[in-house]
Amino acid sequence: MSAIEETKNAISVNRAAPAKASPSIITRLLNLLSSVRFGVSMLSLLAIASMIGMLIMQSSVDGFDKYFAALTPSQKLLGGWLGFFDIYHAWYFNLLLLVLSLNIVLASIERFPGAWVYLKRPKLEVVAAWLRKQTVTQTVEMRADSRAALAERIVKASQSVGFKPIVTEKGNRTYILAQRGTWNRLGAYAVHVALLTIFFGGFLTAQFGRTGSMWLKPGATSNEMSETVFKIEDRNTFRLDKSTAALPFEVFCTDIRQELIRKDGPITADNTIDWLTQIKIKDETGEHNALVHMNRPYDYRGYRFFQASFMNVGHARNIKLSLTPEAGGEPQIVSIARDGSAQLPDGTKIDYVDFQPDFTMQGSQITSQSGEYNNPAAILNVMTPAGERSRAFAFAQELPSSAPVGRAVAGYKFRLADFEKVPEAHMLSIQRDPGTTPFYVGSGLLFITLSAVFFFSHQRVWAIIEESEADSKNFEVVLGGNTNRNSVALEDRFKQLIQAITGKPQEVQEKS
Amino acid sequence: MSEALHNPEVLSSPAELSSPKPEDGNSWSLKSYLPAIIPIVGSLLMVLLRIQMGGDRFIDDGALMMIALACYLTAATFHLTNLYAPSEMAQKIGLWTGCLGVFFNLSSWCVRWVAGYDRELQIFLSQGRSAEEMQWAFRFIPFANLYDLSLAFAFGAGITTMVISGRKNFRFIGAISLPLAALILVLARFIGNDFINLPPVLDSYWRPIHVGIASLSYGVALVCFAAAVIYLLKVGTKPESMAIWAAIFGLGVFASISRFSVFTTGIYTASTFLQGSRMAMPLRADIPYVGLLIIASGVLLLGVIGLFGKYILQQDERARNLGHWLLKLSLVSQACAIVLLVTQVKSMTNVASRINPDQFPQFGAWLAEQQGMTAQQIQAIEPSRFVAASQEFISERGSTLVLSLNANPVELSALITAFAATLFVVFFSFRTEVLRKALPSAEKLDSLMYKTASVAFAGLAMLLVTGAIWANESWGRYWGWDSKETGAFVAWLTYGGFLHSRIARGVTGRRSAYFAVVAFLLVIFTYLGVSYLLPGLHSYA
Repeated sequence: MSAIEETKNAISVNRAAPAKASPSIITRLLNLLSSVRFGVSMLSLLAIASMIGMLIMQSSVDGFDKYFAALTPSQKLLGGWLGFFDIYHAWYFNLLLLVLSLNIVLASIERFPGAWVYLKRPKLEVVAAWLRKQTVTQTVEMRADSRAALAERIVKASQSVGFKPIVTEKGNRTYILAQRGTWNRLGAYAVHVALLTIFFGGFLTAQFGRTGSMWLKPGATSNEMSETVFKIEDRNTFRLDKSTAALPFEVFCTDIRQELIRKDGPITADNTIDWLTQIKIKDETGEHNALVHMNRPYDYRGYRFFQASFMNVGHARNIKLSLTPEAGGEPQIVSIARDGSAQLPDGTKIDYVDFQPDFTMQGSQITSQSGEYNNPAAILNVMTPAGERSRAFAFAQELPSSAPVGRAVAGYKFRLADFEKVPEAHMLSIQRDPGTTPFYVGSGLLFITLSAVFFFSHQRVWAIIEESEADSKNFEVVLGGNTNRNSVALEDRFKQLIQAITGKPQEVQEKS
Repeated sequence: MSEALHNPEVLSSPAELSSPKPEDGNSWSLKSYLPAIIPIVGSLLMVLLRIQMGGDRFIDDGALMMIALACYLTAATFHLTNLYAPSEMAQKIGLWTGCLGVFFNLSSWCVRWVAGYDRELQIFLSQGRSAEEMQWAFRFIPFANLYDLSLAFAFGAGITTMVISGRKNFRFIGAISLPLAALILVLARFIGNDFINLPPVLDSYWRPIHVGIASLSYGVALVCFAAAVIYLLKVGTKPESMAIWAAIFGLGVFASISRFSVFTTGIYTASTFLQGSRMAMPLRADIPYVGLLIIASGVLLLGVIGLFGKYILQQDERARNLGHWLLKLSLVSQACAIVLLVTQVKSMTNVASRINPDQFPQFGAWLAEQQGMTAQQIQAIEPSRFVAASQEFISERGSTLVLSLNANPVELSALITAFAATLFVVFFSFRTEVLRKALPSAEKLDSLMYKTASVAFAGLAMLLVTGAIWANESWGRYWGWDSKETGAFVAWLTYGGFLHSRIARGVTGRRSAYFAVVAFLLVIFTYLGVSYLLPGLHSYA
């Protein structure tokens, strides 16, 4: 009989006791709620519900609108009625989690005394016949001056292989219980405490967590975050619901940057190493500079900022202009940052106003045909030393001098010699999540307790020493032991123990 | 029951204690871990050699993977031989060939790491940037797509097998686990070992931690599955009922391949590529004979289910014998289908002529979508215009359409897995009693199953936790019910169910084993199904 079965029987005896009195509905309900079998059923139900959510697209997933539109009316009706499009927030899913948590708590309470007995009242005496049926068992005949001397020898041997022995004398027999890792019996409870802590964190997140996002480009300021969700209406149509929440501070964007793998490639994700957003947070405590980039969030006053997305429309973080004097001469090179300006030695001032990646004109309207860098152009405001203002365009590609946009302005011909690619805007996502701390604590605890539970075990070995009737110096020693897990490790230790007792390697008979 | 030892030496042994010698009694000594240690040390040497020699003169990761695949299959053959005709020699060859396979498997992964670095370095140097601007080495750790994960998954299964092989009487596990590892490598071969630029969101130190845990715990789960199957066989589950489950699996595969159309149209179609492009076109080419063979295999499997069902319910021996014949015929027919499919995909020219025009309206709509039209605009267009656009596309670019084994990695691997499942059932039904006797005791198998399930459970828990922490670092939420998250969660729940079923009343060993089997199928679903079938954040791997 394994140790597990032993516990099981102890439990079933416990459970049988209240059953003698007429079991009320509440008792029966409690018995059901605290049974492991019920727990396994709950686990299976939870697994099935999660699978449903996996196979049916959830309304929070991108592309749900397309998916939903392709469903038949009856699918929409049934799925909507059963809450399958947002199953993880359905009332029955929450109920399932609640019942499972309750089951964990109740089953733990019911089983704890059984486990506590291992620590509080170890089984000191056993019957030889029972020992011979254990996972490992061996009977040896040994000579010694006295029973006490032999017991002493077995105690020392068990200590030498890592057991803690307890000796009990009773009648003409000596019982030795040698065990290790007794605390392991409680490990499972610690695992469940960790799980409940994680569930609690999840509950806090679901109830009090706020999430939203914010578009930022250099120079922009925002003090609110917004969230879009799909709401299914009339079980057949859905609408986009946008909710905004005010932040207790202002976020100012100072710079955005994109690190590319190929500098001559597009600004798409597959050519990107990192997106970086430089922000300044302003509130009553002052100004706080922060850098947010991929996998490097920034925490402030319980809010967390993440680099979430980018607008796939090309812009230039800084431009390098080549200015050729109309009168002739060597071109000058000028660098200007986004929304910045520069002054030439002759006093001419150039403002970098805007950038079009795929420059085109629709009537007099300047716009971009696409977000890609097909025809990049910087739009500039130029002021001559005399104070005369005019607009200039700097193109990366050579334009015929007849083109009106390519004409010289303020005595210079403008060329876009180089520029650093960057998206038009970045999106930061913002979270306020009070559940994170319990979640992290629970996760840490889970890691420790799982390692402790599965990589250690409670090993017990008993020895019964009995004098032989014919010869008082001759003893029969029955040894046997079990463990709550990893019987292979017990077998090894048992072999070492026998060897330490007899001083000889032994073939240990294993239960087969 | 143990007999008392009447050994005069014991009786006369001196009273003082002799110090215990752990090496003698302890079979978990360093030596027993050698099959696991050698591949790791060897691979480290291999990668040092690769760095020393450079990529041009060194064997590449794809070739190393193929050698690993060959080793796994050879090792499995010897392990299987050893089960039916026990021989020390076969067992040793099985063990060490398997060990060699793990070495090549890990070497392939390590070499790929260096190759990934070299590749991006080339891009940087070609742009006049220096090596100092390169990211730290962890950026190139090969955990970027499903190919990398498959390589690591097979290694996880291989190394777990090697660790367990430290116990001589558990070495047989390689007979099941190594062919499964080989199947994963076959899948990897079909996915193809092209490098991708790492999606920026994956560029985090949590990636090696999270994916590393994933591949190892998936590997342990695979070995647990192998133990569960063997356990079921040992405790008397009939090969015939295993055959029924394998047949249901096979039918499921046949029904779902080629867009669920083989059983309705009788034709198997394969995805096409534009030459030089990595993107599969939504145009499928008919592959002759394969569909018919698949239908034949399916019908035979249906017969197997019926006949074995009759045998199990009514002990009808004739139905049993006939069923075994149908099973073997189905095996042959599946093998023919796979061989014909692979050879034709490799050799077929003039792919355009094999494309059924029925797909044109849909393909035309897809073309329009590629050109940036919105759903409303597409709906307003006449289908005939889509057909015309498709015909134009075919006449212009039809000659550049090609077939590739990489087009449908999961479909092909599923076909091969169904074949392998049938093959194993055929093996199991051959001299089942001899096989049962050769296997260790049910309790030992149960203990192995429990141990591997515990490690898989702990591993999946760590997988979920590290994934959650990483998600919290990059998306700002630690749990979002993303399909991959949920898949791993469901698999974890099932292992939880397995562990609890052992302490629940009235659940016997066999029912526990079913949990272990289902849990592994869920792991596979998480690993493949989610990436290929469901949308979500993990679509890259």
